[in-house]
Amino acid sequence: MSYLPYALAGWLFMIGLYGIVTSRHLVHLVVCLSVMQSSTYVFFLAVGYREGASAPIFKDYPLGKPAVDRRQRDRDGAAPRARDRDLEARRHRRSRRAEAEAAMTALVPLLVAIPLIVAALLVAAAQRIHPLVANVTAAAVAATVTVLAVLLIFRTSHAPIDYWFGGWHPRHGIAIGIAFHVEPLGAGVAAATGALATAALLFSLEYFAEHVQPYFHALMLIFLAAMIGFSLSGDLFNMFVFFELMSIIGFGLTGYRIERRSVLQGALNFGVTNTIAAFLIMFGIGLLYGRTGALNLQQIGETLRHRQPDGLVVVAFTVLAVGFLVKAGAFPFHFWLSDAYAVAPIPVCVLFSGVMSDLGLHGLARVYWDAFSGTLGGHDEAVKGVLLVVGCLSALVGAGMAFLQASLKRMMAFVTIAHIGAGLIGIALLSARGLAGATVYMVADGLVRGALFLAVGVIMYGLGNPNELRVFGRGRGMPVAAIVLLVGAVTTAAVPPFGPFVGRTLISQSAPGIVTAVLVVSGALGAAALLRASARIFLGLGDRRDPLLVAPPTGEDEDEGEERPIGLGLLLRLPAILLLAAGLGLAFATGLADRAALHTLRGAKPPPLPSLSQHVTTASVAYGVLSGVLALGLAAFGLYPRRLRLPGGRFAAPLLAGAKAVHDGVPGEYVAWLTFGAAAIGAALALLIR
Amino acid sequence: MTALQAMTIALVALGGLAVVLAYDPLRQAIVLGIYGVLLVILFVVFQAPDVALSELVAGSVAFPLILLATLAKLHGRREDE
Amino acid sequence: MSRRVRIRGFLVSALVLAALLGWGFAGLPDFGHFAGEYAQLLNRVATGERHATNVVTSIVFDYRGVDTMGEEFILFAAVITVGMLLRETRDEGRRAPRDEVRSDAIRLFGVSMVGATVLLGLSIVAHGTITPGGGFQGGVVCASGLALVYAAGSYRAYRAAGPYEFLELGESTGAGGYVAIGLAGLAAGSALLANVLPLGTAGELNSAGTITMLNAGVGLEVSAALVLLFHEFLEEVEHR
Repeated sequence: MSYLPYALAGWLFMIGLYGIVTSRHLVHLVVCLSVMQSSTYVFFLAVGYREGASAPIFKDYPLGKPAVDRRQRDRDGAAPRARDRDLEARRHRRSRRAEAEAAMTALVPLLVAIPLIVAALLVAAAQRIHPLVANVTAAAVAATVTVLAVLLIFRTSHAPIDYWFGGWHPRHGIAIGIAFHVEPLGAGVAAATGALATAALLFSLEYFAEHVQPYFHALMLIFLAAMIGFSLSGDLFNMFVFFELMSIIGFGLTGYRIERRSVLQGALNFGVTNTIAAFLIMFGIGLLYGRTGALNLQQIGETLRHRQPDGLVVVAFTVLAVGFLVKAGAFPFHFWLSDAYAVAPIPVCVLFSGVMSDLGLHGLARVYWDAFSGTLGGHDEAVKGVLLVVGCLSALVGAGMAFLQASLKRMMAFVTIAHIGAGLIGIALLSARGLAGATVYMVADGLVRGALFLAVGVIMYGLGNPNELRVFGRGRGMPVAAIVLLVGAVTTAAVPPFGPFVGRTLISQSAPGIVTAVLVVSGALGAAALLRASARIFLGLGDRRDPLLVAPPTGEDEDEGEERPIGLGLLLRLPAILLLAAGLGLAFATGLADRAALHTLRGAKPPPLPSLSQHVTTASVAYGVLSGVLALGLAAFGLYPRRLRLPGGRFAAPLLAGAKAVHDGVPGEYVAWLTFGAAAIGAALALLIR
Repeated sequence: MTALQAMTIALVALGGLAVVLAYDPLRQAIVLGIYGVLLVILFVVFQAPDVALSELVAGSVAFPLILLATLAKLHGRREDE
Repeated sequence: MSRRVRIRGFLVSALVLAALLGWGFAGLPDFGHFAGEYAQLLNRVATGERHATNVVTSIVFDYRGVDTMGEEFILFAAVITVGMLLRETRDEGRRAPRDEVRSDAIRLFGVSMVGATVLLGLSIVAHGTITPGGGFQGGVVCASGLALVYAAGSYRAYRAAGPYEFLELGESTGAGGYVAIGLAGLAAGSALLANVLPLGTAGELNSAGTITMLNAGVGLEVSAALVLLFHEFLEEVEHR
C-alpha cells in the first residue's frame, strides 16, 4: 500500500509509452507524451511527500520576525553576517593572485548569461534590425564565449572551480544551491562548443545571408548557452533543465523548413524520442533524490558510496544512461538522429554533430564518475561490459549505414553515430586513459565533423544537392571543399598523426583486442564512405548508378535545388578550414586531456599517465595505417561494386534491405526500439550486478 | 496513506488510461481536460498547492485550448480538401 | 517493421522495463517517510533568509534560480520557434476577420470576464512570495484573459486588442530581465542571481528582495509568450 503512489507514476509512464507506440494520429501521440510527463510530476511528488506534513507556506509567520529561532539558525549556519563578509573580502584583497582568481571565477556564469541576454535582445529588436547585424552580433558573442572558455581551461588546470549561483555555498556538506563544477574537461567541451558555434554563425553569414530572421540567430545563441550549461553543471536537475533546453531548440532548428514533409518527420522523431529520454532522466533524478535527498552530483556520489548497489542504484543508472545515450545517438537509440540531421540546416548540423551528440556522452561520463563510481565501482566489469557492447554496436551499425548512404548529410549523420560509438567505448573502459582518449577524440573529432559538415554545406551551396549520385563529377571547381572533405575523411579513419588518431590510440590501448578491431573497421568504413563520395563528386570516378545506396526520401534535398555562384566565398570556406586545423592540431593537447581525466576521476586515484611519446607505439601507428588502407580499399569497392562479383551478394541483399527499412520509420517504431534498448541494458546490468 | 489519497490515485490511474485509449483526437482533448482536473485534485490532496495551480492553468486550460485550436485547423483543412 | 511485430516486441520490452522500474521503486523509502536533508534544511531557513512565506517561491527564484532561468528560456525558445515556423508556412492571402458569435449577451458576458481574469492573474503573480502561485501560474491566467476575448466571439476585437510587436518586446524583456537582474548580483560583487535588494517585511507584497522582481519578470514573459502562442495558433485557424 505504501508504494501505491510510485506505482501510479510507473503506470502512467508505461501506458503513455504504450499509447505512443500504438498511436496512429500525431495529436494523439502528443497527448500521450503529456500523460508520460504527468507521470514524472506524480513521481516527484510521491518521493518528496512527508506524512502529516503540510505545504511549506508559512502564513502564520509573524511579520518582520525571523522564521526560526536564533539557535536553530546558528545550527543551520545561515549566511555569514555583513562584518564576517567584510573580513573575508579584505583577506582576499591581500593577494593579487587571489583577486585574479576571483575575477576568473566570475567568468563562469557569464558563459551562459551573455548568450542568453543577447538572445533576448535580438528577439526584442528582431523587427527593427537587419538580419546580418543580428548574425554578426551572434558570431561575436560566440567568439567571446569561446575565449572565456579557453581561459577557464587554463584557470582550472590545477584545481576545479565550484561556482555557487546566488552565493549559496553548501552548509555542513549539504548543497543548498546549484553549482557549476568547472574542470578542464567541461571547460574544454565548452570551448569546442563555442568554436563550433562561431564557425557555424560565420558560415551562415554567407550561406543564409539575409534569408533568415534574427530569431534564428537568437535560437543559436540560446542553444550555445544550453550546451555550455549542460557541460559545466554540477547539479543533476540543472543538467536536466539544460538538456531540455537543448532538446526544444534542437527540435525547432531541425524543423526550420517545416513546409517539407521530410523535415516535419525529422523534427518530430527528434522531439518525441528526446522528450522520452528526458522523462527517463527525470525518473533517474527522482530515484536518486529519494535515496540521497540531494541533487548535487558530488553529494549524491558521497551518499551512495557507502552502500552496495541495489535495485534502485542499478535502475537509476540505467534510466540516466539511456536518457543520455538517446541524446548521443548510440545504438539502438540512434534512429531519430539520422532523420533529424538529414533535414536540419547546415549551420545547425555543425552544432548537432560537432557537440550535441558528444554532450550525451559527456553527461554519461560525468554522472557515472561523480555519482555512481563509488557504489558501482565494485561491479565495474558489468558496467564496462554493457557499455562496451553498446559502443561497439553503435560504431559498427553507424559506419555500416554510412557506407550505404548516397546523401552526404545522411552519411555524416551515420558517421556521427559511428564516432559516438568509438567515444562511448573510451568512456566504457572506465579508466583514466580511456576517458582521456574519449575526451581528445570527442573534441578533436567533433571539430573535424563540424568542418566536414561545413564542406557539405559548400557543396550544397554551390551544387544545390548533397547527393553524390546527383552531383556526380560536378565538384571539379571546388578545391577547398574537396581538400577539407578528403583530409577530414582520412582523419576520421584515425590515420596518424592527427587529433582523432591520438584519441583512438589512448582508447585502444586499454581496450580488449576485439574492441580495437571494431574501432579499426568502423573508422575505415566511415572514412571509406566519405572518400567514395568525394571521389564521385570531385573527381567523377566510379559508376554513376549504384543500387547499393539508399535513395534519400523524395523531397529531402530537392528544394536546395538552385546552384549559386560561390565567387570568393571566404566565409563559406574559412570556417571549415579553421575547424579542421583546430581538430587536427589537438594532437598536441594530450597532456591537458590526461589532467582533465584525472580531475574527473578524482575519487578513483588512478596511476599517473605516461606522456604522449609513450602513448604512441608502433602497434598504434600500425592500426592507424591499417585503418587508412582499409578505408581506401573499401572506397574503391564502393565506387565499382559490380566489378567485384562477391559470392555473398545473394545473402547480403535482404540483410541490407532490412537494415535500410528499419532506419526509415515512424516515431512509434523508434520508441519501441528505445524501450527495447532500455529494457536490454537494464536487464543486462541487473543480471550482472545481482 | 489516507483513503482520500488512495481514491485519487485510483482515479488518476483510470483517467490516464482513458486518455491513452481515446484514439479519436477530439474526444481525447476532452478526456484530457478531465484528467487534468483529476491531477489537480491529486496534487492538492498531496499538499502541493503550487504544482496544483500550475497544473490547473497549464494542464487543464492552456494545453487543451491549444490542442483544440490545432484540431480546428486540421478539421478546416479536411473541409477544404 | 510490421505494426504487429512492433507492438509485440514493445510489449515484451515494456514488461521488462516495468519490472525494472518496480525493482528501483522498491529501494525508495516508504511513501510519506522521505527524510531528505536538503528539503528540510530549506524549509527551516528559507523564510528567515529570504522573507518569502512561500518556501517554494524562494527555492524556485533564489536557491535554485538558475533552473528557473533555464525553464524560462525553454518557454521563450519554444514560442519563438512556433512563431518562426508557423509564420514561415502561412500563406499571406488574408481573409477579413469575421466574428462567429452573434449573441450580444454572450459577448458582453465574455468581455466583462476579461478584466476579472486579468486581475486574478496579476494578483496571483503579485502574491507569488506569499501564497501558492507566482509568475508562471499568474502569467498563464493573464494570457487566458486575452484568449477569452476570442472565445467570447469577437475575433475583430481580439485582433484590435493585440499589440503584437509589444508582445514580443514583453516576452524578451521578461526573459532578458531575469538574466539582467541576475547580472546585477554579479556586478554587486556577489554571484549571479544573488540578492541585491532589501528584503523587506516577510508576508508583505514588496518583500523578498530580488525574488519579487524575478517573479514579475517571469510573469511578464509567460503572459506575453502564451498570448503570442495563442495568437499564432488562432492565425492558423482563421486563415485556413
